[in-house]
Amino acid sequence: MRKRYFVGGGILAVAVGLLVYASLGSAVSYYLTVSELLDRGSELYGERVRVAGKVVDNSIEWDADTLKLDFVITEGGEDLLVVYEGARPSGLKEDSNVLVEGEYRSDNTFQASTIILKCPSKYEPQE
Amino acid sequence: MGTAEIGQGAIILAFLAALVSAVVAGIGARTGSRRFISITRISVISIAVLYSLALATAVFAFLTRDYSLKIVSEHVDSSLPAAYALSALYADKGGSVLLWGWLISLFSALIASRKHEYDNSILPCMLCVLAAIQLFFLAMVTFVVNVFEKNPAPVAEGVGLNPLLQNVAMLIHPPMLYLSFAAVSVVFAIVIAALITHTPGAQWVRWVRRWALFGWCTLGLGNLIGMWWSYNELGWGGYWAWDPVENAGLMPWLLITAFVHSISVQRQRNHLQRWSLVLAILTFEFTLLIPFITHGGIESPLHGFYGSHFPPYILAVILVTLAGSLGLLYMRRKDFQKDERSFTLISREGASEVTNIILVLLTAVILFGTVLPRVVELFGGTQIAIDRSFFDRVAGPIMLLLVFFMGVCPLLGWAKTSWQSVRSNFVFSLLATLLVVVIILIVGGGKWYLISAAVCSFPVFTILLEWFRRAKARHQDRKENYLRASLAMLNSNRPRYGGFLVHIGIILITLGIIASSFYSAENMVSLDVGQSMKVGEYDLAYDELILKGSQTKVSAVATVSMSRQGRHIGNLYPENNYWFSYMDTFAEVAVRTTPAEDVFVSLVWTSFDQQNKSVTIRAMINPLVVWIWVGGGLLLIGGVVAFSHQERRDSQYKDR
Repeated sequence: MRKRYFVGGGILAVAVGLLVYASLGSAVSYYLTVSELLDRGSELYGERVRVAGKVVDNSIEWDADTLKLDFVITEGGEDLLVVYEGARPSGLKEDSNVLVEGEYRSDNTFQASTIILKCPSKYEPQE
Repeated sequence: MGTAEIGQGAIILAFLAALVSAVVAGIGARTGSRRFISITRISVISIAVLYSLALATAVFAFLTRDYSLKIVSEHVDSSLPAAYALSALYADKGGSVLLWGWLISLFSALIASRKHEYDNSILPCMLCVLAAIQLFFLAMVTFVVNVFEKNPAPVAEGVGLNPLLQNVAMLIHPPMLYLSFAAVSVVFAIVIAALITHTPGAQWVRWVRRWALFGWCTLGLGNLIGMWWSYNELGWGGYWAWDPVENAGLMPWLLITAFVHSISVQRQRNHLQRWSLVLAILTFEFTLLIPFITHGGIESPLHGFYGSHFPPYILAVILVTLAGSLGLLYMRRKDFQKDERSFTLISREGASEVTNIILVLLTAVILFGTVLPRVVELFGGTQIAIDRSFFDRVAGPIMLLLVFFMGVCPLLGWAKTSWQSVRSNFVFSLLATLLVVVIILIVGGGKWYLISAAVCSFPVFTILLEWFRRAKARHQDRKENYLRASLAMLNSNRPRYGGFLVHIGIILITLGIIASSFYSAENMVSLDVGQSMKVGEYDLAYDELILKGSQTKVSAVATVSMSRQGRHIGNLYPENNYWFSYMDTFAEVAVRTTPAEDVFVSLVWTSFDQQNKSVTIRAMINPLVVWIWVGGGLLLIGGVVAFSHQERRDSQYKDR
């Protein structure tokens, strides 16, 4: 009686395990900073990665007609040009911390599919 | 003496009262002395009174905008409406803990004041556990985050509340979650007390049932309200992103769902007791895990309000209480040997157990995906991210399997089901499901419609058929009409039919999720006044942009006229607001809802310039979304129906 349950539960667990195994590979991406990405350079061409950095002053260019957005993020003294198609996210400002998700291309630009803004958890009033 | 001193004083006194309660309750539990039990009850009630005083001072400080308090100046400003000033309390990490702990103190006082409901042997033990939990919360708001901390220098104006939180859903969503977490604490206390005092399962299950249902219902609704907020406020067009904070709310709900089902088997058949105990303990630990997971979630600044100094404490408390509870369970293993009964897999117990296992596996998988990046970072050094496709692919099929099981269960009887008895129902439901599939094949629809229609209609048919069969029997026996018979039947077994209503609600939610995940249409374009865009079968014309200024923000309101196949249907007014305090823009979406689909329009960009009225509009057609919220309504109704069933003190268990 008990045994049957362990077998049944075991089969379910194995099935779920296989499902996890099959789904995990394509869903995992590296999470790097700009300098880490540039250090590894060409080996990451075409890979899905997440990169964190800070938006460089006066680098945001947004064309409302074509919905093209590009900006440069920096970290560890190195810069990365991010290219994105879509709406300009509110909150994307000079000096703000962002997380971009997408593909590092062979022309050393980053084609972002998602832009996530890293807001400071607490809003500090301007002094 | 100012507000801060009163609040702080009340918290410290409550802390002392909790300490006294825990000790006195402990002595009462050990000796069974009536005097000690009476003292415990009074001191537990006094914690709630002091806690209420502290909360009232905090609320008063928010409503009067007392900027001498840090918590107030950091979350509100003078222009904020009073209702949001109230909700700003739980936008703060300390305020959330204060609210959460206060609810636990209220529930504890409720238990202490209804002494006749619980036996004298278990009551002091329960109150002791609850007092210990309250000590933990009070210690957090006293030593870890000081809610009543004062600003070092006078502050003239507060920072204001994040505009995204200025939404009616955010008034309800957090309190709902805290209500449920507090109820889960009570469930945990009852279960631990029952283990300590060797209370038989048939007895504690009676006490725990309504608390568990309450916690289950409020957590489910709280999560759904969070989804509604995400859909209507965040403007990305979805309602669920498998974000760690969402997972943190879903996991305890799955566990408490499993618990509610396993105690229902236990109530009827006195089975699955150990399993129920483990689930109760795990659910409690998961509610404590929430601040640990939400901490540092860079993807979700709105929930990132738990300070960095929380987690180590919480993790330690979780590990200690988990080890302690499971250790206690192990020590009491001999209590459970007597009443195991046999049943076959094809029975309601069997199906319940399988459903339980699936729910726990689902929780495990979500936990795995949520914490894996953190674990890899901790041990391997490299940082990885898991995107939502993992959760979609893994959780999707498991959830469909669960929905299918909702259809199997009503067909089965207790202990053992003969094939003869289920055959006619099963065959009928299967044929009806096939008919639906054939209709969809003829009408046309994608493979996902087909799969979901098949999986969802089977349980709908078995539930309706079971309902109809019972109502018909009643109709024939007592000459009642069908409506009356249905209502009387519902009344006669509220837990069962409340459950049916909930299941239909879940199926509606499933349909809404599947349809809107696989069949939504989207378009985003920049338009000048007079231009129009297409999305799905709709034409959206951008007619006008009006700029309005107020003290706190500049609003740009677009008039978008909607037409379908050349026929004008109505106007939508999406907004984009520039908030001065945040120096940033926030969109307010406009949604037109019909039973078939939502037209979702977001004004994502405008220059806020009278001369240049060009805008960027993102429009989506999201099919069947409204059924997610309707399903939520059924969840509430079914939950209330099941909750309203009260077991009599002397009730004998069926088959016992």
